[in-house]
Amino acid sequence: MKRNPLTLVIGVLLIFIFGLWLFVFQVRTTEVAVVTTFGNPTRPITQPGAYLKAPWPIQKVWPLDKRVQNFEDKLTEGLTRDSFNLLTTVYVGWRITDPTAFFPKFVGSANPIGEAERQLEQLLGNAKSSVIGKHRLSDFISSTGNGTNFLAIENEILTTLQTQVSANNYGLGIEFLGFKKLQLPSNVSQSVFDRMTSERKVLADQLQYEGEAEAQKIRSDADRKAAEMLSSAEAQATQIKGMGEAEAAKSLAAFQKNPELASFLFRLNALEGALKERSILVFDQNTPPFDLFRGVSTNLLNK
Amino acid sequence: MNDHPHSHDDSPGLAVPAETPVDAGSQALSEALRSSFAIIRVVMIVLIVVFFASGFFTVGPSQRAIILRFGKPLGEGENALLGPGKLHWSFPYPIDECVKVNITGIQQVDSAVGWYAQTPTERLSGIEPPAPAGTPMNPAVDGYVLTADNNILHTRATLRYRINDPIRYVFNFVNASNAVQNTLDNALLSTASQFKVDDVLTLDVAGFQVAVRRRVMQLVEQQELGIAVEQCVVQSIRPRQLKEAFDRVTDAAQTRGKVLNEARSYENQVTNRSSADAESRINLAQSDRARLVSDVAAQADRFQEILPQYQRQPSLFVQQRLTETLGRVLTNVQDKIFVAESLDGKPKELRLLLNRELIKKAEEQKP
Repeated sequence: MKRNPLTLVIGVLLIFIFGLWLFVFQVRTTEVAVVTTFGNPTRPITQPGAYLKAPWPIQKVWPLDKRVQNFEDKLTEGLTRDSFNLLTTVYVGWRITDPTAFFPKFVGSANPIGEAERQLEQLLGNAKSSVIGKHRLSDFISSTGNGTNFLAIENEILTTLQTQVSANNYGLGIEFLGFKKLQLPSNVSQSVFDRMTSERKVLADQLQYEGEAEAQKIRSDADRKAAEMLSSAEAQATQIKGMGEAEAAKSLAAFQKNPELASFLFRLNALEGALKERSILVFDQNTPPFDLFRGVSTNLLNK
Repeated sequence: MNDHPHSHDDSPGLAVPAETPVDAGSQALSEALRSSFAIIRVVMIVLIVVFFASGFFTVGPSQRAIILRFGKPLGEGENALLGPGKLHWSFPYPIDECVKVNITGIQQVDSAVGWYAQTPTERLSGIEPPAPAGTPMNPAVDGYVLTADNNILHTRATLRYRINDPIRYVFNFVNASNAVQNTLDNALLSTASQFKVDDVLTLDVAGFQVAVRRRVMQLVEQQELGIAVEQCVVQSIRPRQLKEAFDRVTDAAQTRGKVLNEARSYENQVTNRSSADAESRINLAQSDRARLVSDVAAQADRFQEILPQYQRQPSLFVQQRLTETLGRVLTNVQDKIFVAESLDGKPKELRLLLNRELIKKAEEQKP
């Protein structure tokens, strides 16, 4: 049979591809892998890329997801140092860091990730209750310290968990950890409600009294200011009048020339002013011009 | 193209053995084989072309693409991201793998760990399911947060964010949006634990929101989520069980405002009135002053005028003036009662019944 070069090339290519498929495997950037030789893990691979292996059934590749997994535990109860029951849920970001350590412990099960999380939950439960037991409730919630206590507690749980995880050699790394829920048992929440209600009442009363007191203060201030304004105006007015009198006094010098006449004229003016309105005048014959009646018998007299 | 001359070269090669057999049948067979080989060849060439052409791809305007060669990102950081506006090419799978990520689209997560249980309809319509005072908070159902002053309140947040580092966001997390959500939950919880209940609810709402946002951004950086926070909206309310108590405080605050406003308007009124009064008093004083000065001046002038007359005949002048004035004045007087001297020289007693009105008038005239 004649050999066609093209067919040859294609044949070689096919064999090459088949060889690649048998001898080469890829590890994606999101994965780590373990190569087992006759079922025994012999080579961990943590960097992505293409690698060589012996064909199945000698060597087998087990890819594992190395991305950060989100895990959160159930709401669990823990006793604080000052005997408060605290219900907490914590979330954990973890990932597979050491495939050789991880592989023999978990890969045998149907759901390695779930199995690992089950182990993690137990360790987390221990870490949580031991750390919470070391702190008072006021360490969790307080306006002082800018939340450093809260962070410190989270960090403490994180380090406790990390130590336990590495002690057990699970091949896991805990990336981060934080509280997701922080609550009180329902009977405690009821007493908190009672306290809040009374606090609200105090606040409402305080607002009311403060408002009234402040309003009263505003009013009395206003009254005082008004009185001050009026009295200062009064003082100013008196001063102005005094100035007027002083000015007028200059003209009074003219009257000095004949005080007798001046006094007469002033009295005359006063008399005229006094009798301007409706008035009743009783007089006898000594008063001019009625002195003309004196000695004259009038019908008035003899009535 | 290069394959054409090949096939020409091949044909004589195939034609050589075709000369020997004389059998028409085998000749037909070799003809058929030849043409079917040619077809297969063409098909293979087409397949190879299609195989390589399938490596061309474009990137949408809100997307970035990353090429993984043997599972490893090609390029580092920003360089690994392929943008829109170009035709890109990669080796087909399994050599290269192209991953596209939506990046400019705004993503959103909601945190409801601090909120009471709500059905979706209640959530959409914004109805607050009633909880009478006295019902305890069930931690398994209703979420809430604890504040720095040991109080309970509900708070929830919505975070909108953009992916700014797709390599981290996509390749580092199994479920990155879930991680963002956890971050938001934690930020809400830890921030609330530093704030007092009144600050969260009324006095420093904006401050609380800013603090939550700051905390989220810190955590995002720590956990290397590869996102940029666009917006963080926080909403907080008192526990439903304490609605009445909280409403009373609101009412009290409103009443206080009202009372204060009334007092302020009183203040305005009083100060305005008194300043007007003060003004008018001063004006009056000024006009009094002017009048007094001009009066006295006028009198002094007149005095100067009449002084020579007086000096000529003082007693006559006085008489004349007095009589003249009295005459004028007496015309104004309403009642004139003349009591003549009795003949025996004893004073006479005269009783007048003055009616009230007149007394009043008289009194008014006194000052």
